[in-house]
Amino acid sequence: MSEHLLEVNNLTLDYNLGSRKMQALGQVSFSLDKGQVLGVAGESGCGKSTLGLAILRLLPRVAEIRRGEVLFNGTDLLKLSEEQMEREIRGQKITMIFQNPQNALNPVFKIENQMIDILRVQEKYQNPGSRKRRRDFKQQAIERLESTGIADPEARVSNYPFEFSGGMKQRVMIGMALSSGTSLLLADEATTALDVTIEAQINRLITELADKYGTSILYITHNLGVLSEMADRIMIMYAGRIFEMGNTEAVFGSPRHPYSAALLESLPSRQTKGKRLLTIPGIVPALDRLPSGCSFHPRCAFAEEVCRQEVPPLIEVDKGHWSACLLDQKRGRKKWHWT
Amino acid sequence: MALDMIQIRNLKTYFFQGKGLLSKLFGQGLKIVHAVDGVSLTIKKGRTFGLVGESGCGKSTLGNTIFRLVEPLEGEILFQGRDVVKMDQKELREFRQQAQIIFQDQFACMNPRMTAGQIIAEPLMMRQGEQERQKNIEQEVIELLNAVNLDPDAAVKFPNEFSGGQARRIGVARAIALNPLFIMADEPTSGLDISTAATILNLMQDLQEEMDITYLWVSHNLNQVKYMADDMAVMYLGKVVEVGQTREVFDHMAHPYTQALISAVPQVDSSEHKETIFLEGEVPSPIDPPSGCYFRTRCPHAFERCEQEEPPLIDLGGGHFCACHLHNNN
Repeated sequence: MSEHLLEVNNLTLDYNLGSRKMQALGQVSFSLDKGQVLGVAGESGCGKSTLGLAILRLLPRVAEIRRGEVLFNGTDLLKLSEEQMEREIRGQKITMIFQNPQNALNPVFKIENQMIDILRVQEKYQNPGSRKRRRDFKQQAIERLESTGIADPEARVSNYPFEFSGGMKQRVMIGMALSSGTSLLLADEATTALDVTIEAQINRLITELADKYGTSILYITHNLGVLSEMADRIMIMYAGRIFEMGNTEAVFGSPRHPYSAALLESLPSRQTKGKRLLTIPGIVPALDRLPSGCSFHPRCAFAEEVCRQEVPPLIEVDKGHWSACLLDQKRGRKKWHWT
Repeated sequence: MALDMIQIRNLKTYFFQGKGLLSKLFGQGLKIVHAVDGVSLTIKKGRTFGLVGESGCGKSTLGNTIFRLVEPLEGEILFQGRDVVKMDQKELREFRQQAQIIFQDQFACMNPRMTAGQIIAEPLMMRQGEQERQKNIEQEVIELLNAVNLDPDAAVKFPNEFSGGQARRIGVARAIALNPLFIMADEPTSGLDISTAATILNLMQDLQEEMDITYLWVSHNLNQVKYMADDMAVMYLGKVVEVGQTREVFDHMAHPYTQALISAVPQVDSSEHKETIFLEGEVPSPIDPPSGCYFRTRCPHAFERCEQEEPPLIDLGGGHFCACHLHNNN
């Protein structure tokens, strides 16, 4: 049996919209070990959020998982019943935080009520015979708030969400999501809406709590800078496929896929003032009209005939460094100079 | 020596809460939001001026005040020497032809029932005293679409048919329609993907070169401001805490807030990873700002004087100013 905490194999998923069939994930395979942070990056529509939702099976009805497995501690989550997912996995072993904590908190209930609801459900499934009282849960809620660094948690727990700032609301979400029972946290653009100084605070908090509880993190974001500082490993996605995967330093230091190289070169932080930024020609393809072969070939400056014909497999090109580019695989180690 | 495009002197914009009938009935006092609190800046001609700060620091209000979308309480805004605050409606109309805004949410500022062509043509039709040229408007719209690298076909499309990056281009086309001297860009790439943002940045740099436009670049993205701006100012709670040439500010940041802000920006290159200075707590309310230095409640270096005295902007040489008692020898 595998020792990975999470192992996703060949996950392929379609959205069926009437006559249109959109492949949102194509043969996605990766693994995540205990205590590791795996960063998922890519532009909008590349399937990174779909991936997070697919792991928790929170996808809309139009989504159809066609192939693949999601092994969590060796159990295929795709084969569990809805009830088992709810009882054992969601909000228990695997939790998720989203970009907009405003939408995750009900504006008409106090923070304490919303936290107690979660704690109650967790308790019910973990210790079915438990006789904990509301008082105990409230105390627990206060402790959780305290662990996320909210000042004066005894008073703040009785506030309504509107009385909290964006950063504090995200702290509440983290407090609800991370506890000793959590083995995997899915963070989907968790700090995108926050200011940089608050973002730094929240990311530090996530790291600290994850360290404390030994939680692994799948950190989804489009902000490559954040990933560079947070993640042990990086996965670059494009049009539903993994294009490159490897250790953070390897992927950012010497990208093996032209797309990753282009993303890095188009960042203003890497360019001196006055020099033009790299722009990738064209736009991300619509998922129901994916180009043949490598889905990036129409925009790739290096594309050759073979790229139009064959779908590149994700291959280990260096130790622990995977890339899905036929040219890279053909020629071996190569630097992609776009400009 | 570059000429001054805009000079702001001691500008204050306050918002008043609790003026309404309900507050009077229930006896709540008047609350004053110090959105822009005594700002002085000079934006030089043909250059890009970056304005950074966290949400709620007043950077957008400052921008809106320059255009008199919000009325200032006091202070001067000299646009090529003429005070915008004192302009009457007719003068304001002229001023607003020469100065344009690209707003953050481009979809929100396009009428969904108008085509992109109509949207871009609107400022052209407003142009006064050129009736005979009106028939050429169609041609001008196509030229503008070309200038922002959009297909001429885009003219007949409606806003919902555009992607975020294309919508931004339409905003740029509309802003440059009347050959403005000055453009304020409020978070011009927020919400765009990395490579799309890069195309907008390239476009705006090209236009600046061709048309000699001065930009006020309002953004919380410090990497972008470092790349785009010649000069920059850092705002905190309605005040400018540091101002100077961008390179100088990044190389020799003097204010503890600037240091914390820049250190918190996540960098891709591990060589640029700095020790993040974590600021505790959050920005205080601008209704009831702290005494003395507004930043002292979160400042790791705060000492007694910071509580008692408001630090003035201190000249550090070379046009670099910083409002902090650590640099105050008086």
